[in-house]
Amino acid sequence: MTLKPLSARQLDALREVSNIGMGHAATALSQLIGETVELHVPCISVAEIVRIPALLGRAEDLFAGITLQIFGEARGIILLLFPQQSAQQLLIRLLGRPADEPICDELSSSTLKEIGNILASAYLSALGNLLHMSLIPSIPLLAYDMLGAVADRVLIELSREEDLALLVETEFHGRAPTEEVIRGHFLILPDADTLDVIFDAANVGYEK
Amino acid sequence: MKSRERVGIAEFRVVRYPGILISYGLGSCLGIALYDSYRQQGGLAHSLLPGSCPPGFSGRPAKFVEGAIRSMFVELLAAGSEPRHLTAKLAGGANMFASPNAVEEDNIGSRNVRTGREILNQLGIALVAEDVGGRHGRTIEFDLATGALQVRSLRLGELII
Repeated sequence: MTLKPLSARQLDALREVSNIGMGHAATALSQLIGETVELHVPCISVAEIVRIPALLGRAEDLFAGITLQIFGEARGIILLLFPQQSAQQLLIRLLGRPADEPICDELSSSTLKEIGNILASAYLSALGNLLHMSLIPSIPLLAYDMLGAVADRVLIELSREEDLALLVETEFHGRAPTEEVIRGHFLILPDADTLDVIFDAANVGYEK
Repeated sequence: MKSRERVGIAEFRVVRYPGILISYGLGSCLGIALYDSYRQQGGLAHSLLPGSCPPGFSGRPAKFVEGAIRSMFVELLAAGSEPRHLTAKLAGGANMFASPNAVEEDNIGSRNVRTGREILNQLGIALVAEDVGGRHGRTIEFDLATGALQVRSLRLGELII
Protein backbone atom coordinates (compact mmCIF):
# COMPACT_ATOMS: atom_id res chain seq x y z
CA MET A 1 0.00 0.00 0.00
CA THR A 2 1.42 3.36 -0.92
CA LEU A 3 0.13 6.88 -0.54
CA LYS A 4 -1.44 8.24 -3.68
CA PRO A 5 -1.05 11.91 -4.46
CA LEU A 6 -3.90 13.91 -3.00
CA SER A 7 -6.01 16.33 -4.99
CA ALA A 8 -6.62 19.91 -3.86
CA ARG A 9 -10.21 18.98 -2.90
CA GLN A 10 -9.01 16.09 -0.79
CA LEU A 11 -6.47 18.26 0.97
CA ASP A 12 -9.19 20.81 1.67
CA ALA A 13 -11.51 18.15 3.02
CA LEU A 14 -8.81 16.78 5.24
CA ARG A 15 -7.85 20.21 6.50
CA GLU A 16 -11.48 21.02 7.21
CA VAL A 17 -12.28 17.84 9.16
CA SER A 18 -9.03 18.16 11.07
CA ASN A 19 -9.70 21.79 11.84
CA ILE A 20 -13.07 20.94 13.32
CA GLY A 21 -11.72 17.93 15.19
CA MET A 22 -8.78 19.80 16.62
CA GLY A 23 -11.05 22.72 17.47
CA HIS A 24 -13.00 20.37 19.70
CA ALA A 25 -9.80 19.13 21.25
CA ALA A 26 -8.69 22.71 21.93
CA THR A 27 -12.03 23.48 23.57
CA ALA A 28 -11.61 20.44 25.79
CA LEU A 29 -8.12 21.62 26.77
CA SER A 30 -9.30 25.15 27.45
CA GLN A 31 -12.03 23.84 29.77
CA LEU A 32 -9.44 21.79 31.55
CA ILE A 33 -6.94 24.55 32.18
CA GLY A 34 -9.49 27.36 32.39
CA GLU A 35 -8.08 29.67 29.76
CA THR A 36 -8.46 30.37 26.06
CA VAL A 37 -6.56 27.98 23.85
CA GLU A 38 -5.58 29.14 20.40
CA LEU A 39 -5.12 26.78 17.56
CA HIS A 40 -3.23 27.12 14.31
CA VAL A 41 -4.96 25.96 11.15
CA PRO A 42 -3.79 22.38 10.77
CA CYS A 43 -0.92 21.87 8.42
CA ILE A 44 -1.17 18.82 6.20
CA SER A 45 1.91 17.38 4.65
CA VAL A 46 3.23 14.19 3.19
CA ALA A 47 6.62 13.56 4.70
CA GLU A 48 9.19 10.84 4.54
CA ILE A 49 8.65 8.99 7.81
CA VAL A 50 12.28 9.08 8.81
CA ARG A 51 12.28 12.89 8.51
CA ILE A 52 9.32 13.49 10.82
CA PRO A 53 11.25 13.82 14.12
CA ALA A 54 13.45 16.51 12.61
CA LEU A 55 10.32 18.45 11.62
CA LEU A 56 9.16 18.49 15.23
CA GLY A 57 12.21 19.90 16.95
CA ARG A 58 15.62 19.03 18.34
CA ALA A 59 16.01 15.29 18.88
CA GLU A 60 17.52 15.63 22.35
CA ASP A 61 15.03 18.07 23.86
CA LEU A 62 12.88 16.79 26.68
CA PHE A 63 9.26 16.15 25.71
CA ALA A 64 6.21 14.44 27.12
CA GLY A 65 4.65 12.30 24.41
CA ILE A 66 1.25 10.70 24.68
CA THR A 67 0.25 8.25 21.99
CA LEU A 68 -3.06 6.56 21.23
CA GLN A 69 -4.11 4.28 18.47
CA ILE A 70 -7.27 4.95 16.54
CA PHE A 71 -9.58 1.95 16.25
CA GLY A 72 -12.85 1.55 14.42
CA GLU A 73 -13.68 2.19 10.81
CA ALA A 74 -10.55 4.24 10.30
CA ARG A 75 -7.16 3.48 11.78
CA GLY A 76 -4.09 5.43 12.62
CA ILE A 77 -2.02 6.92 15.37
CA ILE A 78 -2.36 10.08 17.39
CA LEU A 79 0.71 11.60 18.99
CA LEU A 80 0.55 14.55 21.33
CA LEU A 81 3.79 16.23 22.24
CA PHE A 82 4.38 18.76 24.97
CA PRO A 83 7.78 20.34 25.53
CA GLN A 84 8.94 19.79 29.11
CA GLN A 85 8.05 23.31 30.29
CA SER A 86 4.55 23.08 28.88
CA ALA A 87 3.98 19.67 30.42
CA GLN A 88 5.16 21.15 33.70
CA GLN A 89 2.76 24.10 33.30
CA LEU A 90 -0.18 21.80 32.58
CA LEU A 91 0.53 19.93 35.79
CA ILE A 92 0.94 23.12 37.79
CA ARG A 93 -2.43 24.36 36.63
CA LEU A 94 -4.30 21.09 36.89
CA LEU A 95 -2.83 19.81 40.11
CA GLY A 96 -1.89 23.10 41.72
CA ARG A 97 1.55 21.81 42.52
CA PRO A 98 4.86 23.64 42.90
CA ALA A 99 6.86 24.29 39.75
CA ASP A 100 9.99 22.42 40.79
CA GLU A 101 8.35 19.06 41.33
CA PRO A 102 9.53 16.28 38.97
CA ILE A 103 7.21 14.93 36.31
CA CYS A 104 8.01 11.26 36.68
CA ASP A 105 5.64 10.31 39.50
CA GLU A 106 2.45 8.33 39.14
CA LEU A 107 0.09 11.27 39.53
CA SER A 108 1.83 13.33 36.82
CA SER A 109 1.89 10.39 34.43
CA SER A 110 -1.79 9.63 34.82
CA THR A 111 -2.66 13.30 34.52
CA LEU A 112 -0.73 13.68 31.28
CA LYS A 113 -2.23 10.47 29.90
CA GLU A 114 -5.68 11.70 30.81
CA ILE A 115 -5.04 14.98 28.99
CA GLY A 116 -4.05 12.93 25.94
CA ASN A 117 -7.18 10.87 26.31
CA ILE A 118 -9.45 13.89 26.54
CA LEU A 119 -7.90 15.65 23.56
CA ALA A 120 -7.85 12.54 21.39
CA SER A 121 -11.42 11.62 22.29
CA ALA A 122 -12.64 15.13 21.52
CA TYR A 123 -10.89 15.03 18.17
CA LEU A 124 -12.11 11.56 17.25
CA SER A 125 -15.69 12.10 18.27
CA ALA A 126 -15.87 15.30 16.19
CA LEU A 127 -14.25 13.55 13.25
CA GLY A 128 -16.52 10.53 13.66
CA ASN A 129 -19.67 12.65 13.79
CA LEU A 130 -18.64 14.51 10.70
CA LEU A 131 -17.86 11.39 8.73
CA HIS A 132 -20.54 9.16 10.27
CA MET A 133 -17.97 6.73 11.51
CA SER A 134 -17.30 5.28 14.86
CA LEU A 135 -13.74 6.02 15.93
CA ILE A 136 -12.39 4.82 19.25
CA PRO A 137 -9.12 5.77 20.91
CA SER A 138 -7.01 3.09 22.58
CA ILE A 139 -5.72 3.62 26.10
CA PRO A 140 -3.09 6.37 26.14
CA LEU A 141 0.59 5.54 26.59
CA LEU A 142 3.10 8.04 27.90
CA ALA A 143 6.81 8.61 27.47
CA TYR A 144 8.81 11.45 28.96
CA ASP A 145 12.20 11.66 27.32
CA MET A 146 14.21 12.89 24.33
CA LEU A 147 11.98 13.98 21.47
CA GLY A 148 13.62 11.62 18.98
CA ALA A 149 13.13 8.66 21.27
CA VAL A 150 9.54 9.56 22.07
CA ALA A 151 8.67 9.90 18.39
CA ASP A 152 10.47 6.88 16.96
CA ARG A 153 8.19 4.22 18.42
CA VAL A 154 5.27 5.79 16.62
CA LEU A 155 7.14 6.07 13.34
CA ILE A 156 8.13 2.44 13.57
CA GLU A 157 4.45 1.46 13.60
CA LEU A 158 3.93 3.24 10.32
CA SER A 159 7.18 2.50 8.60
CA ARG A 160 6.64 -1.24 8.40
CA GLU A 161 4.74 -0.83 5.15
CA GLU A 162 5.24 2.78 4.21
CA ASP A 163 8.06 5.16 3.56
CA LEU A 164 5.82 8.20 3.46
CA ALA A 165 3.24 9.31 5.96
CA LEU A 166 0.47 11.82 5.88
CA LEU A 167 0.93 14.18 8.76
CA VAL A 168 -1.82 16.41 10.09
CA GLU A 169 -0.24 18.71 12.58
CA THR A 170 -1.24 21.69 14.59
CA GLU A 171 0.27 23.74 17.31
CA PHE A 172 -1.87 25.15 20.06
CA HIS A 173 -1.10 27.44 22.92
CA GLY A 174 -2.93 28.66 25.96
CA ARG A 175 -2.92 32.38 26.55
CA ALA A 176 -3.77 33.59 29.98
CA PRO A 177 -2.01 36.94 30.05
CA THR A 178 -0.41 36.34 33.41
CA GLU A 179 0.64 32.76 32.93
CA GLU A 180 3.36 31.02 30.99
CA VAL A 181 2.45 29.86 27.51
CA ILE A 182 1.54 26.23 27.01
CA ARG A 183 2.50 24.78 23.65
CA GLY A 184 1.88 21.44 22.12
CA HIS A 185 1.89 19.50 18.89
CA PHE A 186 -1.06 17.37 17.88
CA LEU A 187 -0.20 14.84 15.18
CA ILE A 188 -2.49 12.47 13.36
CA LEU A 189 -0.93 9.80 11.25
CA PRO A 190 -3.62 7.83 9.44
CA ASP A 191 -2.93 4.47 7.82
CA ALA A 192 -2.82 4.71 4.06
CA ASP A 193 -5.92 2.47 3.75
CA THR A 194 -7.73 4.68 6.17
CA LEU A 195 -7.37 7.71 3.94
CA ASP A 196 -9.63 6.06 1.36
CA VAL A 197 -12.23 5.48 4.03
CA ILE A 198 -12.06 9.11 5.15
CA PHE A 199 -12.35 10.43 1.59
CA ASP A 200 -15.26 8.14 0.80
CA ALA A 201 -17.07 9.37 3.87
CA ALA A 202 -16.27 13.01 3.07
CA ASN A 203 -17.37 12.37 -0.49
CA VAL A 204 -14.15 13.32 -2.17
CA GLY A 205 -12.77 10.34 -4.03
CA TYR A 206 -9.53 10.12 -5.91
CA GLU A 207 -9.61 11.77 -9.30
CA LYS A 208 -9.99 9.28 -12.09
CA MET B 1 39.64 19.19 14.87
CA LYS B 2 37.67 16.01 14.48
CA SER B 3 34.79 16.12 12.09
CA ARG B 4 31.45 15.08 13.56
CA GLU B 5 28.97 13.57 11.20
CA ARG B 6 25.36 13.06 12.04
CA VAL B 7 23.67 9.76 11.28
CA GLY B 8 19.91 10.25 10.90
CA ILE B 9 17.10 7.73 11.18
CA ALA B 10 17.42 4.89 8.65
CA GLU B 11 20.90 6.06 7.70
CA PHE B 12 24.38 4.65 8.09
CA ARG B 13 27.87 6.10 7.59
CA VAL B 14 31.25 4.49 7.29
CA VAL B 15 34.27 6.70 8.03
CA ARG B 16 37.94 6.55 9.06
CA TYR B 17 39.90 8.10 11.90
CA PRO B 18 39.81 11.01 12.78
CA GLY B 19 36.05 11.12 12.69
CA ILE B 20 33.16 11.05 15.11
CA LEU B 21 29.76 9.71 14.20
CA ILE B 22 26.76 10.78 16.21
CA SER B 23 23.13 9.74 16.31
CA TYR B 24 20.55 11.60 18.41
CA GLY B 25 17.55 10.44 20.38
CA LEU B 26 17.24 6.72 19.82
CA GLY B 27 14.19 5.17 21.45
CA SER B 28 13.20 1.74 20.19
CA CYS B 29 15.53 2.33 17.29
CA LEU B 30 18.81 0.45 17.39
CA GLY B 31 22.23 2.05 17.03
CA ILE B 32 24.84 -0.31 15.59
CA ALA B 33 28.54 0.49 15.64
CA LEU B 34 31.04 -1.63 13.73
CA TYR B 35 34.75 -1.03 14.31
CA ASP B 36 38.04 -2.14 12.84
CA SER B 37 40.76 -1.14 15.31
CA TYR B 38 43.54 -2.16 12.89
CA ARG B 39 42.53 0.37 10.29
CA GLN B 40 40.74 2.74 12.70
CA GLN B 41 37.65 2.77 10.57
CA GLY B 42 34.09 1.88 11.26
CA GLY B 43 30.45 2.59 10.72
CA LEU B 44 27.41 3.70 12.65
CA ALA B 45 23.78 2.98 11.76
CA HIS B 46 20.44 4.14 13.19
CA SER B 47 17.84 1.48 12.34
CA LEU B 48 14.10 1.38 12.86
CA LEU B 49 12.90 -2.12 12.21
CA PRO B 50 13.75 -5.73 12.94
CA GLY B 51 13.80 -8.26 10.13
CA SER B 52 15.29 -7.91 6.70
CA CYS B 53 14.46 -5.76 3.71
CA PRO B 54 11.48 -7.20 1.82
CA PRO B 55 12.23 -8.44 -1.73
CA GLY B 56 12.25 -5.59 -4.22
CA PHE B 57 12.73 -3.01 -1.45
CA SER B 58 14.27 0.08 -2.97
CA GLY B 59 14.30 2.43 0.02
CA ARG B 60 17.01 3.00 2.59
CA PRO B 61 18.62 -0.32 3.55
CA ALA B 62 19.47 0.99 7.02
CA LYS B 63 15.77 1.23 7.86
CA PHE B 64 16.13 -2.46 8.75
CA VAL B 65 18.66 -3.74 11.26
CA GLU B 66 19.80 -6.47 8.89
CA GLY B 67 20.18 -4.07 5.95
CA ALA B 68 22.18 -1.67 8.11
CA ILE B 69 24.64 -4.27 9.36
CA ARG B 70 25.12 -5.89 5.97
CA SER B 71 25.59 -2.56 4.18
CA MET B 72 28.22 -1.39 6.66
CA PHE B 73 29.92 -4.80 6.51
CA VAL B 74 30.19 -4.61 2.71
CA GLU B 75 31.50 -1.04 2.79
CA LEU B 76 34.07 -1.83 5.45
CA LEU B 77 35.38 -4.81 3.49
CA ALA B 78 35.56 -2.65 0.38
CA ALA B 79 37.57 -0.14 2.43
CA GLY B 80 40.08 -2.85 3.25
CA SER B 81 38.86 -4.29 6.55
CA GLU B 82 39.14 -7.98 7.24
CA PRO B 83 35.99 -9.57 8.70
CA ARG B 84 37.90 -11.04 11.67
CA HIS B 85 39.09 -7.59 12.72
CA LEU B 86 35.57 -6.23 13.06
CA THR B 87 33.84 -5.81 16.40
CA ALA B 88 30.37 -4.51 17.15
CA LYS B 89 28.55 -2.51 19.81
CA LEU B 90 24.80 -2.03 20.15
CA ALA B 91 22.83 0.72 21.89
CA GLY B 92 19.15 1.58 21.98
CA GLY B 93 16.24 -0.80 21.53
CA ALA B 94 14.30 0.68 24.44
CA ASN B 95 10.60 0.33 25.06
CA MET B 96 9.57 3.95 25.44
CA PHE B 97 5.85 3.58 26.02
CA ALA B 98 5.17 1.23 28.90
CA SER B 99 2.00 -0.65 28.15
CA PRO B 100 0.29 -2.52 30.98
CA ASN B 101 -0.44 -5.71 29.07
CA ALA B 102 2.40 -5.98 26.60
CA VAL B 103 4.88 -8.85 26.61
CA GLU B 104 8.38 -7.45 27.01
CA GLU B 105 10.02 -9.74 24.42
CA ASP B 106 7.48 -8.73 21.77
CA ASN B 107 8.21 -5.03 21.72
CA ILE B 108 9.99 -3.55 18.73
CA GLY B 109 13.01 -2.44 20.72
CA SER B 110 13.74 -5.95 22.01
CA ARG B 111 13.17 -7.42 18.57
CA ASN B 112 15.59 -4.92 17.04
CA VAL B 113 18.21 -5.98 19.58
CA ARG B 114 17.60 -9.69 18.92
CA THR B 115 17.87 -9.21 15.16
CA GLY B 116 21.10 -7.24 15.63
CA ARG B 117 22.70 -10.02 17.69
CA GLU B 118 21.60 -12.67 15.19
CA ILE B 119 22.95 -10.92 12.11
CA LEU B 120 26.28 -10.11 13.82
CA ASN B 121 26.53 -13.74 14.77
CA GLN B 122 25.82 -14.87 11.20
CA LEU B 123 28.56 -12.60 9.87
CA GLY B 124 31.00 -13.72 12.56
CA ILE B 125 31.37 -10.23 14.03
CA ALA B 126 32.07 -10.24 17.78
CA LEU B 127 29.60 -8.25 19.84
CA VAL B 128 31.89 -6.67 22.44
CA ALA B 129 29.51 -4.35 24.31
CA GLU B 130 25.92 -3.23 24.45
CA ASP B 131 23.65 -0.86 26.32
CA VAL B 132 20.16 -1.83 25.26
CA GLY B 133 16.57 -2.03 26.48
CA GLY B 134 15.10 -0.08 29.35
CA ARG B 135 12.63 2.77 29.02
CA HIS B 136 14.90 5.68 28.13
CA GLY B 137 16.11 7.44 25.03
CA ARG B 138 19.79 7.53 24.11
CA THR B 139 22.15 9.67 22.07
CA ILE B 140 25.25 7.87 20.88
CA GLU B 141 28.63 9.17 19.83
CA PHE B 142 31.15 6.88 18.17
CA ASP B 143 34.83 7.86 18.22
CA LEU B 144 36.76 6.28 15.36
CA ALA B 145 40.08 6.95 17.07
CA THR B 146 39.38 4.46 19.84
CA GLY B 147 36.16 2.66 18.94
CA ALA B 148 34.58 4.00 22.13
CA LEU B 149 30.83 4.43 22.03
CA GLN B 150 29.52 7.11 24.33
CA VAL B 151 25.88 6.68 25.34
CA ARG B 152 24.03 9.66 26.82
CA SER B 153 20.58 9.66 28.33
CA LEU B 154 18.64 12.37 30.13
CA ARG B 155 17.91 10.26 33.18
CA LEU B 156 20.98 8.07 33.54
CA GLY B 157 23.70 10.42 32.33
CA GLU B 158 26.72 9.29 30.41
CA LEU B 159 28.22 5.90 29.84
CA ILE B 160 31.09 4.73 27.67
CA ILE B 161 30.99 1.23 26.29
